[in-house]
Amino acid sequence: MRIFNTATITVCFVFSCLCVSAGELLIENAKIYTASEQGTIENGYILIQDNKIAKVGERRDFDFTGQTIDAEGRSITPGLVNSYTQLGLVEINAVSHSVDFVTEDKLFGPSFKISSAINPASTAIPHNRINGLTHAIVVPEPGHLLFAGYGAAIRLAHAENMILDDSLALFINFAAQGSKLSGGSRASAYSKLRQSLLDAQDYMSNRKESRRGQWRDYFLPLHDLEALLPILKGDKQVVITVHRASDIRLVLSLQKEFKLKVILAGASEAWLVADQISAAGVPVIIDPMANLLGDFDQLAARLDSASRLQSAGVTLLFTGVAWRNTHSAYTVRQAAGNAVAYGLTVEDAIKAMSSNPARVFGYADRFGSIESGKIADLVIWDGHPLEILTRADSVIMNGKPVAMVSRSTRLRDRYRELNTLYPPAYQK
Amino acid sequence: MSFLIRQFFRSAIVLIAFALGCQTTTLKQTEKTKPANKPVAFAGTYKAILSDPVLIRNATILTGTGEQLRNTSILLLDGRISAIGENLKAPGNAVSLDVRGKWLTPGLIDVHSHLGVYPSPEHEANQDGNEATSPNTAEVWAEHSVYTQDPQFTLALAGGITSLQILPGSANLFGGRGVTLKNIPARNVQAMKFPEAPHSLKMACGENPKRVYGQNKQAPASRMANVAGYRSAWIAATEYNRKWDKYYASLENKEEVDPPTRDLQLETLGEVLRGNILVHNHCYRAEEMAVMLDIAKEFGYRITAFHHAIEAYKIPDLLAKNGVCAAMWPEWWGFKHEAFDMVEENVAMVDHGGACAIVHTDSAITIQHLNQEAAKVMASGNKAGYSVSRAAAIKWITLNAAQALGIDKQTGSIEIGKMADIVLWDGDPFSVFSKAEKVYIDGALMFDRHDQTRQPVSDFDLGILDPAGERL
Repeated sequence: MRIFNTATITVCFVFSCLCVSAGELLIENAKIYTASEQGTIENGYILIQDNKIAKVGERRDFDFTGQTIDAEGRSITPGLVNSYTQLGLVEINAVSHSVDFVTEDKLFGPSFKISSAINPASTAIPHNRINGLTHAIVVPEPGHLLFAGYGAAIRLAHAENMILDDSLALFINFAAQGSKLSGGSRASAYSKLRQSLLDAQDYMSNRKESRRGQWRDYFLPLHDLEALLPILKGDKQVVITVHRASDIRLVLSLQKEFKLKVILAGASEAWLVADQISAAGVPVIIDPMANLLGDFDQLAARLDSASRLQSAGVTLLFTGVAWRNTHSAYTVRQAAGNAVAYGLTVEDAIKAMSSNPARVFGYADRFGSIESGKIADLVIWDGHPLEILTRADSVIMNGKPVAMVSRSTRLRDRYRELNTLYPPAYQK
Repeated sequence: MSFLIRQFFRSAIVLIAFALGCQTTTLKQTEKTKPANKPVAFAGTYKAILSDPVLIRNATILTGTGEQLRNTSILLLDGRISAIGENLKAPGNAVSLDVRGKWLTPGLIDVHSHLGVYPSPEHEANQDGNEATSPNTAEVWAEHSVYTQDPQFTLALAGGITSLQILPGSANLFGGRGVTLKNIPARNVQAMKFPEAPHSLKMACGENPKRVYGQNKQAPASRMANVAGYRSAWIAATEYNRKWDKYYASLENKEEVDPPTRDLQLETLGEVLRGNILVHNHCYRAEEMAVMLDIAKEFGYRITAFHHAIEAYKIPDLLAKNGVCAAMWPEWWGFKHEAFDMVEENVAMVDHGGACAIVHTDSAITIQHLNQEAAKVMASGNKAGYSVSRAAAIKWITLNAAQALGIDKQTGSIEIGKMADIVLWDGDPFSVFSKAEKVYIDGALMFDRHDQTRQPVSDFDLGILDPAGERL
């Protein structure tokens, strides 16, 4: 009967927290991985006022009588970020009308924006949230062009304002998939990409004439060229999925030629050109556990990629694990743990799924680290924050503990006891 | 098609049959009979590599039988575990290792893998796991597709995998025969075959067969046609066995009769009915598992394991009663509607309900971290109050898996007399930071993280990145 006792305790804990209205919350006795310059505080406190972190420190030097959580030595990290998911864009992969991350419509190239398809009520969102994921980058897949379109940044809240940026960055596939969509050769993919950028430059200089139909023809329609302007102006970033080392060099040459703000994704062979990536100031999104030779572009994939890139000074953003990456996008924590097993420091691994993505995607002032002034999105873990045996005890978003409930936990609780008079359908 | 979707289809294609029960069956088995005059086709030729005795001292041992031993030593001799205890004496030529602070577990076993039949690198010419041309392809054998130089085998070895079952995919009601291998680099698949391991039959419930064939306006296009398909095939197999039984009876009576014509498809199904081939059944939904159990009863065979048993937590009592294992993922879900009701505690709940629980991977990534897959369920299970110890959780990836493959008399636990299939971990095997340091198969050191001469390199890997260097 320990099961039920434990469950009851958990429920009470959650509800007691929920009962506290917005205001002040103090968390004491915690090991705090701030993911900021403050580093890790072995035993400290976090004061939350309204929805923000007001103070973080070692010894509390003020009186406090409000709602307090004694973390009893538990670890706290910022809410986790997975930098490459399809959260909100797919309920069930094999149910096509519940899948929105790709369009085959030839009307849309770079101008395709995925954000309007994001479903805040997706069951995957609470499932990930109670496992410590508070933010995600939501990514379109390429349909008929190597341009996949604009992705979004989301908070894992069931709220209309969960989308933080509906045109976060333009996603491009310059890996095998992009080649295939460009006629079958990576040379044509390269030409298509470069020519599109040249056309967009030309269009930018001759916009009026073009729109009046008094200029030349372009490979892309004008609304797609429009969508390339923000990346040429440096207003928006470009996330390019690419694996082979030689292809990464090509991407870096484009970055230089067009002064693009590039982020590499996938990047199985990035470690081979880590110094060049670092020198170019280009961050990299990787799944540290993706060590398969998935295709001939990924022959150098290995488990210590993350630490090799970090050593070269590359900014890391994490995703993973493999194809669980949306429905169980929180497994990015496992991927980060494996990066540590293969040489990365714990702090750098945590940053790669908190403050690094927040900074790279332009949210450094809002979330991603435990610092005063940031929105209070935190996870209290029942053990080392990267350990597999560790689970989230409590997830705090916007300063309030969230209910640790999902469709999955309700199914679990429904089937705990099978010998009931009435069938499980009466157990809600 | 995105990677995720491709993986989904690949996985969908992988159906599970079930292996031998984890528990003594209550079903009446048809008496095992073996056609006397048939030579064994594709006989295994695996031979353990001869090695000096190894004495491993002061380890923390998870035995796989439910025990955790501290500061204990084991002696590996002539390929077997020959002694377990304190102050063991070793022959003079023994390699002696003091491993204080490190852990020993049985070699890990994945009951659901497609290494070799869906190898790296992934491309059309290598997609050999699914004969999606007919809903019944019981005649095909996964071992005939295995690419022995698949680099994924050695990656799995570095994760402590010593045995694994290679299954055909799940596109078909009857996908074909699976094979259990020792994770040993070899020039042919026969040399990898686990000695005396029974074959398996891969069967699939649910969405995959009806999608693959239904979209071509071919049966099955519905779950009810799936069931009709299984039953029709078992009727044919029953008839086939009857013909052969009649023939054997005639031979015994010294009558001169021509043997029936061999039929590879019915031969596989017939051997299931005779109890010589274990059924591994890809089946997600609780009600479908219950239907499959009734089909097994109707035709007098046993289901050894349900694989991808997403809803096993809804029927642990039924699984326990029928002595069927459930092989499960810790948290993979949402790729199909039948994978929608996932609970992270599934494995722990099945175990708690008294049924045989297994953690499987169906993945070339997570097979490298099978210990972590088990750790995830240990964590979620404990959080939900199911108090799972390390000693209990290790069974999900060792002894229970061995039982499902019919090799538990030989491997899957650290017990005297068993094959010395052992992993030495540099820390707690359920920690994300721990790694397999040494992997022994039949007492031979097949992988050593600190000795490059004991890190196998597949033919594919050799010189692929740098003509003179190593890939990893």
